[in-house]
This record gives sequence, structure tokens and C-alpha cells, in this order.
Amino acid sequence: METRRQGLTLITALCLLIGVVLIIQLWLVAAALDALLSGETGVLVPSALVSLALFLLDAGLLWYVLTFDERIRRSSPDE
Amino acid sequence: MDKPAAPRWRRDFPIGWENDQYVSRRELAKFLTLGSALLVGANALIALVGRFRRRGAEPALAIAGAASLSPGQSLLFRYPTDEDPCILVRMPDGRFVAYSQVCTHLSCAVVHRPESESLFCPCHLGAFSCAEGLPTAGPPTRRLPRIRVQARNGELWAVGVEA
Repeated sequence: METRRQGLTLITALCLLIGVVLIIQLWLVAAALDALLSGETGVLVPSALVSLALFLLDAGLLWYVLTFDERIRRSSPDE
Repeated sequence: MDKPAAPRWRRDFPIGWENDQYVSRRELAKFLTLGSALLVGANALIALVGRFRRRGAEPALAIAGAASLSPGQSLLFRYPTDEDPCILVRMPDGRFVAYSQVCTHLSCAVVHRPESESLFCPCHLGAFSCAEGLPTAGPPTRRLPRIRVQARNGELWAVGVEA
């Protein structure tokens, strides 16, 4: 049975993972802006698509966190 | 040894640190994912601006004095707007090439060096080849944007920019 203690460890790990993905997305935005200003427009759409894929990964991880949270609440409503 | 009893204030106002951290980190995960969505939006906006810019029509502009250039000489002009300095070079074989005069390293103005057939950036000793605009020395890593030129009725016209 899942507990809040397990949940805390899991959510901390997932927060770190989401944070790393976010930093990659920040780098992508900076690189895309640099490419736009230097006129290299060919890389802009792939950059946006990769950023979207990373967001979907983030959203998937968040969904996992929320479903885990729901399971905890259902199994021990007093916690 | 028995654990000492908690002080009365703690018994009256118990704090579940584990629960508190659990909730705050769950909220942090939501906040980070929202940030991720905003960054996707920013990236998509940049891609849209890039697409819109590429479709814009480039004006044609006559380059005054180009016809009188001898091989090995150069001429400064502005294209596509008055804010964009460019340099026209007549190569030893007689053909014309033109580039943006803005160095791709840190935006200093490049100057023509006919003896080495290069465009030299005096700020950080960068150099580009006159024939292709490719970086040949120093810190620049990207080529100079090339200005397309066309001869029309004995005059030389700038007709577009190739990034």
C-alpha cells in the first residue's frame, strides 16, 4: 500500500526530473531566439516540436504524481 | 532511553512536516509543468515569427557607385533598411559579392582587406572569406549573411538577403 512517505520521495524525484526537462526547454528557447535573430529559420519548427515533446513528458510525469496522490487519498483518507 | 516529551506548544499545535512537504512539492510539480507549457508557447511564438519573417518580400535597391568599382575595391551601402550596413566587394575576377557588414560574433563592422581577399573584424581579429563569406579566423563561427545582387540596365541592385 502506498504511503505519504513513499509519495514524498517519489514527488521529490519527479520534481527534479521535471526541473531538468524545464532547463532543457529554457535552453531551447534561448537557442531558438538566437537562431531567429541570426536568420537561421530552419531550426525554429524542430525546436518548437522538441519543446512540445518535452512538455508532454512533463505533463505525463505530473499526471503520474496526481494519480499516485489520488490513490493515497483513497487508501488512507485520514492522512 | 525514552524520547523526551514534546513541549506543550507542540502538543497544542502539531505540525506534520512530512505532510506539509508532500503538499508543497506536489504543488511545485504543478507549477513547473505550467512553466513548461509557457516555454512551449514561447518556442511556438518564435517559430511563428520566423515563418512570418521569411515570407516578407525583400525590396530591390540600386547600389550607387557600384559600376565604377575596380577589381579588389569595395563599397559600403545599406540594405534592406538604413539600419543595416553592408559591404560590396568586386573580386579580382570582376564579379561582385556583397555581405552584411555586421560581424556574426559580436556585431562589429567588418572591413575589406584586398591583399588577403578577406573581410576583417578589428574588434576580435575575426576574418571571413570574400568569396563565400565563411569564417576563416578568429571567434566567429557563423558566415556573414550574403546580399544577393543583380545587374539591371548597367546598374547593380541588391535584391535579397541570404542568411
